[in-house]
This record gives sequence, C-alpha cells and structure tokens, in this order.
Amino acid sequence: MISVYKELKDIPKDSEYIEINDIFFNQHTAMKIDERAADIINRIDNSKLISKFKIESRFDNIVLNIDKLSSGCKTALNVLYFPDKVFCVKECGENALSEIYSFEEGKIYSDYPMIPFDLKKVFAVTSEKSLITEDYEELKEWWNHED
Amino acid sequence: MKINPVVTDHFYTAHTSFIVDFKFNNNITILIGDSGEGKSAVFGFIQECMAVDPKLVCFNYLDKQKNIYEEISRLKNKLIVIDNADILLDEKARKFISLDDKNQYLIIGRDPSNLFATTDNLFELVTEKKEEIIVFKLEPFF
Repeated sequence: MISVYKELKDIPKDSEYIEINDIFFNQHTAMKIDERAADIINRIDNSKLISKFKIESRFDNIVLNIDKLSSGCKTALNVLYFPDKVFCVKECGENALSEIYSFEEGKIYSDYPMIPFDLKKVFAVTSEKSLITEDYEELKEWWNHED
Repeated sequence: MKINPVVTDHFYTAHTSFIVDFKFNNNITILIGDSGEGKSAVFGFIQECMAVDPKLVCFNYLDKQKNIYEEISRLKNKLIVIDNADILLDEKARKFISLDDKNQYLIIGRDPSNLFATTDNLFELVTEKKEEIIVFKLEPFF
C-alpha cells in the first residue's frame, strides 16, 4: 500500500521529497533498473526494455537510451526503486498513476487529487486527518478537504 | 476560454521520421493524456525549431530555476511551448497566461487550474503512421 501526501509539511523529515522525476531517474534510478522494470515500462510506455539502459521505441522500434522514457514512467520507477523517498506525481497520466497505486510500498505527493479510476488501497497522510481507503470518492474528499 | 490564436494557427516541423503537424484553434492549447504517448518527444522536436524560428520560445523542467512569470511577461508575439507545466507554472504565471493576448501558448501538462480553461482548450496527441513516417497531430480531448 502506498502513502499519499497532499501537503509538503506532512512529509516526514527523514523522507526526501523529489519534485523533478526526470532528473532523479536519470541520476539515480537508471542505475538500479532490473527485470522488475520491464513490465512497468511495457504497460506505461508500451516500450520494451532490451537491456539495463536501453528501450525499444513504441513508435518506430528503434533502440533508445532509457532517458527517453516518459516522465510518468520515470516517476513510477522512481517510486518502485526508492520507496523511502516521496515523489511528485503531478506529471503522471492515468496509466502511470494506476501502476504506482498498485505498488506494495512507496510515497507520493500532489497538492491536488491525482487518483486512478482503478484505485487500490492507499494510506492518505496528513498531520490532522489520515485514513486508509480504497474508495475513489472518499480519497478525493480527503484531498479536497482543507485542514 | 475561447480566443483565436494570436500568433499562428498551424505549426509544422519534421525531425527525421517524425512529423509534428499541429493545428490550433485557440490561443491556449493544453495537451493532456496518458504517460508515454510522446508528448515530451514532440516538445523536443518543437524545441529544436527555436534555433531557426524567432517566434518560438520553449520551457521545460530544465528551466525550473527561472522565474517563468518574469520570462513570459517580457515576451510578445511568441508561440510559447511549456513542457512539465505542472511543476513549472505557479499561480501567478497561470493567471498571466490566461489573460495574455500578446502571445500564444501550447502547454503540456494536466493541471488546467487558473488558466480559465474549458474543454475547448484540452487536446490529446494522436499519431498516424504512414510507412516509416510517424505524424503527431492534435485532437480535442473531449
């Protein structure tokens, strides 16, 4: 179950917040890519992981460096490989969000609702009112509620 | 908000086997959609044109340290293309963009807040494959 933050002040002091997922992926996550990434890259970007740093483009099947993954896919992989850090998900499409919400662990942040339609159980965290839910409307209400 | 484009109603460029063929019917075009559809790839192709097209100005996450409001408020008669808009544009920049009638905008992002956007502003990327050529076009999201 992933943890969701809607206010930066609620992020634990020992959890680093990452806003620009592209840069973090290129500098840190790319080095950790293993077989766990293949299915995620396929489902989000419809691309094939062909080696640690190479993907096959969905458009013309040419080989690209892994830095050409979408921001949403990079965000999902950041969350997967660094579950102790909190990642901004504002640049994620529905497909990337759905993937992230299915992870067993991980931490994400957005100051407005970013919820996939096939919501899994999440831990929504604030200092005032935290909850565990798998209900789309309940999570949306939590997100829109001002503490 | 429906305002006719003030700079151009058509943008076209080629990058090897990729073609960007965008028709604009609004001064603010917001490009949304799933991750991995090629939005940032298209941004890269458009950004390349900055070197030869003086009407084009592009911003993405590499400009995070800049004050985007100050940058765009100095511009006139430009097609301003902003990728990673959800992390680049603050409330002040968004409000400026919504009222700017001197420049035209292509915004790649998912948060339309403070842009006074309606469904008229929302578009998605579609691709057409013709043999080895891939053409990117805009289609209304709704």
